[in-house]
Amino acid sequence: MTAVRRSARWRAGGPLAGEGRWAAFFLAPTLLGLAVLSAGPILATLAISLTRWDLLTAPKVVGLDNYLALLSDDRFQKALRNTFFYTAVSVPVGLTIALGLALALNARIRGIAFIRTAYFLPVVTSTIAIALVWQWIYSADSGLLNQVLGVFGIPAQKWLSNPTLAMPSIIAMSIWQGLGVNVIIFLAGLQAIPADLLDAASVDGAGARARFRHVTLPLLTPTIFFTGVLSLIGSFQVFDQIFVLAKPKPTEATITVVYFIYENGFKFFKMGYASAASWILFLIVAAFTAVYFWSQSRWVHYQ
Amino acid sequence: MTAAVAADRRPPRSRSSARRLRSVRRALFVTLLVAGGLLMMAPFLWMIATSLKTRAEVFATPPTLFPITAQWRNYPDMWNALPFASFFLNSAKLAALNTIGQLVSCSMAAFAFAALRFRFREPLFALLLVTLIIPFQVVLVPNFILYRLLPHPVSTSGNWIGTQEPLWVGAFLGGAFGTFLLRQFFLAIPRELGDAARVDGANPWHIYRHVYLPLAKPALATLAIFTFMWSWNDLIDPIIYLRDVESLTVTAGLSLFQGQYVGRWPLLMAGALVSVLPMIVLFILAQRHFVRGIALTGIKG
Repeated sequence: MTAVRRSARWRAGGPLAGEGRWAAFFLAPTLLGLAVLSAGPILATLAISLTRWDLLTAPKVVGLDNYLALLSDDRFQKALRNTFFYTAVSVPVGLTIALGLALALNARIRGIAFIRTAYFLPVVTSTIAIALVWQWIYSADSGLLNQVLGVFGIPAQKWLSNPTLAMPSIIAMSIWQGLGVNVIIFLAGLQAIPADLLDAASVDGAGARARFRHVTLPLLTPTIFFTGVLSLIGSFQVFDQIFVLAKPKPTEATITVVYFIYENGFKFFKMGYASAASWILFLIVAAFTAVYFWSQSRWVHYQ
Repeated sequence: MTAAVAADRRPPRSRSSARRLRSVRRALFVTLLVAGGLLMMAPFLWMIATSLKTRAEVFATPPTLFPITAQWRNYPDMWNALPFASFFLNSAKLAALNTIGQLVSCSMAAFAFAALRFRFREPLFALLLVTLIIPFQVVLVPNFILYRLLPHPVSTSGNWIGTQEPLWVGAFLGGAFGTFLLRQFFLAIPRELGDAARVDGANPWHIYRHVYLPLAKPALATLAIFTFMWSWNDLIDPIIYLRDVESLTVTAGLSLFQGQYVGRWPLLMAGALVSVLPMIVLFILAQRHFVRGIALTGIKG
């Protein structure tokens, strides 16, 4: 409807002919980028994944060999399992804490801006710097965490080298770092909820809990949906944390799919193998995103 | 949660017990928030404290919270351990180039999507949005191969590997996030403004340059800050493409530093602190833009 009105306006404003040419001019950089850097290379990855290629000799077509090899590669299985574990824990826990925090930070209290800044600071700082500090916090000898726990008589732990503790420790750091982004989005969502709806609920005798359950939460579902997509996609791409915290190289307890891709592609120069792993990651993310989008009709309420 | 809503109600001073309960709750709530804020700040404070300690103090028993005398020399020691001045120059140069590239190419594409009529506009925009959800690692290998094929006049390898070019040239070729952000903003600009300019004989370039861009300054600032931040904090691209120590960025340099100074926490913390300082200053100066950028894309997503 708006499109029709718009086109009529343009026609009234000036000659329509040539607008396509102008569009081609304005879009030229983007089209080139899509072709050679983003959309095009996705297909290239698929083609490369069907070859064996070390970059020094010509690529050899091997069909589905790389995919078959991945299925029986123990390190890849571990990488997949760790990535799923990372996603399954960090997304729901991260979102729940962020929602609680946003509700709290939405309150009108003097000095709240200062407290908010504290929550957002980790978002803008690089993961490498953050992970360095956390490596020191988690350090088995004299690290802050072991010192604090020592006060309560809890024995020192090897947070990053103990296979059971390593991934949860990395997840805790990631949640801490990512909180701010979700809090900002939730705050924006909360501030978009009409005050009169909440007031009307109050007049009808709804208590704070009932108002949250029946007004705030339903109206916030589009925001929860959106932060969910962002967190889901982001968590499948986890790399920086692993690269820094699991030095010199991740064990079976901490390797993730993206580290596996990095390792095979840029350390062992197995381009075909790395591409096959990339394509599998792509399919997994696409499948999860599709299911997630499909699920939205069941729980997301658009006004 | 209950407390959050209760806190909104701002009760006037009263002696009634219900009111007193409320103010106790409120105090508890504020205390919790402040404690949470301190917990969020703790790693930063720990970083600062450690960066000023001696190595012996770091491992002292019983452990100490603050250094006895601040070891300011840790900072020059750290700075001279690796060519950190080069790292900062490299990061600043790359962040500036990325920011300019994204501002130019994304604003042009956003203008086309928001203000021009052409065939395939909707499917093209949809394709761009799809690239937003594709993990960038999927294109890591083909991009590496592409840059390996491109000839480079001065690099020792003869191609773009080992040069800084792969870390900024792509920014001039658009981006889904920036285009989406600016298009949302451009759509809110009344079309009458462009139409009026058109009647006066202005072509789309003039309308883009003199009507849309000046009005979109807040959105452009938001995109600039985000691009700068991503470029500054990027780790995987520098470690894949850069080879010489002199050409490293701050993040890649810090990673190298971490490998060479294992266990020397005061120096490592000094390095980490110096590396995040520019972003913290930028954040404090432009907090509004950060919040708006995230919120804008969040709501309209």
